[in-house]
Amino acid sequence: MSVVDEQQSRPAPPPGASEEEYKWHTYTQYPSGRPDAVEFIDMYKGFGRNKILRGLNMGLPEGMVSMILGPSGTGKSVCIKHMVGLLYPDDGDVLVHGESVPNMPDDDLFDMRKKFGLLFQDGALFGSMNVFDNTSFPLRQHTEKSEDEIEDIVTRRLNEVGLGSHGDKLPNELSGGMRKRAGFARALVLEPDIVLFDEPDSGLDPVRTALLGELILEIHRDMMDDAKEKQKEHLPTFSVITHDIMSARRVADYINVLWKGRIVEAGPAEDMLNSDNPFIRQFLSGESQGPLTMD
Amino acid sequence: MIRAVADRAFLPTKSLLENVGNMVILTGRTLISAVRPPYSYGGEFAGQFMFALRLCWFPLLISTVAFGYEAPGLQAANFLTLFGALDRLGGFFVLASIREFAPFVDAIVLAGVAGTAITADLGARKIREELDALQVLGVDPVKSLVVPRFLALMLVTGLFDIYALLFGIFGGILATLVNHAPIGPFFITLFNNADTINLWGSVLKTTLFGAIIAIVCCYKGMTASGGAEGVGRAVNQAVVIAFLGIFAFNYAFTQTLLATHPEVVTIPK
Repeated sequence: MSVVDEQQSRPAPPPGASEEEYKWHTYTQYPSGRPDAVEFIDMYKGFGRNKILRGLNMGLPEGMVSMILGPSGTGKSVCIKHMVGLLYPDDGDVLVHGESVPNMPDDDLFDMRKKFGLLFQDGALFGSMNVFDNTSFPLRQHTEKSEDEIEDIVTRRLNEVGLGSHGDKLPNELSGGMRKRAGFARALVLEPDIVLFDEPDSGLDPVRTALLGELILEIHRDMMDDAKEKQKEHLPTFSVITHDIMSARRVADYINVLWKGRIVEAGPAEDMLNSDNPFIRQFLSGESQGPLTMD
Repeated sequence: MIRAVADRAFLPTKSLLENVGNMVILTGRTLISAVRPPYSYGGEFAGQFMFALRLCWFPLLISTVAFGYEAPGLQAANFLTLFGALDRLGGFFVLASIREFAPFVDAIVLAGVAGTAITADLGARKIREELDALQVLGVDPVKSLVVPRFLALMLVTGLFDIYALLFGIFGGILATLVNHAPIGPFFITLFNNADTINLWGSVLKTTLFGAIIAIVCCYKGMTASGGAEGVGRAVNQAVVIAFLGIFAFNYAFTQTLLATHPEVVTIPK
């Protein structure tokens, strides 16, 4: 059980904020029964006068598909960038498998990042490489595998995401959904312990969003089976950032609801969907009436 | 109120100092990454070298001939003709072309053509999150992108200095011919005044100009933000800062060269 699973007394609101602003934050964290792969500990981050994370305590349990949900502009993508060391907190800490990311020397950080697969919002494919080369890039950079082995792995991953026949296309010849799936294939080739998805549903139609959600679940299941068979030290952890409630209901094992730089409540999907908190109820049912307004 | 006034007064200065500090840090990281194995940037270095060569050779040819012909060529020839000393134009070209104008034109063309291409390329990659993706995939963008551009631009700017001073002198020859004077005296005074100190000083200076251009343009590209408009802004800022850096460094370098080698200040008869 991680530090963020322990129930603590209600924390004071962040500096400059009133108790009233944080009255819906119960900070309840229903136990997941698993250790956390990633933990945010009392983390603060601001850009100029814009304070984004304001004392965030959050955990992503190992072996689960976790969702980070929240209204736009609450710092969900900022969380992902802290996990992989692209941003550093103003205060607080981020632990990945117990190791502090902000305190890592550069060389260790580049090694630590090999634990991660990250699907960026638009895929972030390298414009000068075709889909096959984009997907094989991590293997060529970090492994001694032969070209035949690389071709086997890449072809399998591209087939899984339905791009088996598009390996020779350049990113600008692909649709938004195809770019996301190619980014997904690239994120998986090194079989990372932690896979992060930054709004995988943005810009996709509802059917393709549902299909992508199914793909995420299917690949997570396969990776779990593989990890158990190989008795890996860490179970595969998937974390999806979204504000699409339907995706969350379909895919999530564990849900963190983030608002105003702090977790309102967090826990296994079942507990969260039955939460009594009016904010959580409003957000997870997508209703217009409730504590969350346009302000 | 006081805070708002203070912000307006000091924020631009703070931002400038931060930018300069970050560029110095990037220079340090680039030098360390360049010498630390593995040396995986060979292919990208060759690609960038050829890219800069291909982009710059023609604009540089036109610029150096036109500039050499007009400013130190025709203007100095008009002046020297007043004293009946047009034969000294060759000697003047050692100072004008080798020491100052060829390095300047070389650096300005390289910054304007290759430097802006680098900023636009890296800026677009930054906006498309490719640079973040590289880092997440465990690849250091400084080593894989900045080091090859830094080395390629240094080498190509240094080599182009020779090219620029040759075509600059060609502009001087044209100016002599236009004034209906024989070119023999031009070459006599040119070689009489030429020395290796001015030549290596010129090549070293432009090589370091290349380093300044590469660091400024890579930095502005890698820190671009705000979509396509942000990339345009980064390109604009990169050119302005690179020019300012070149002008400031040129002053310091030339003064140091003259102070440490006083013999080049004396003009032989």
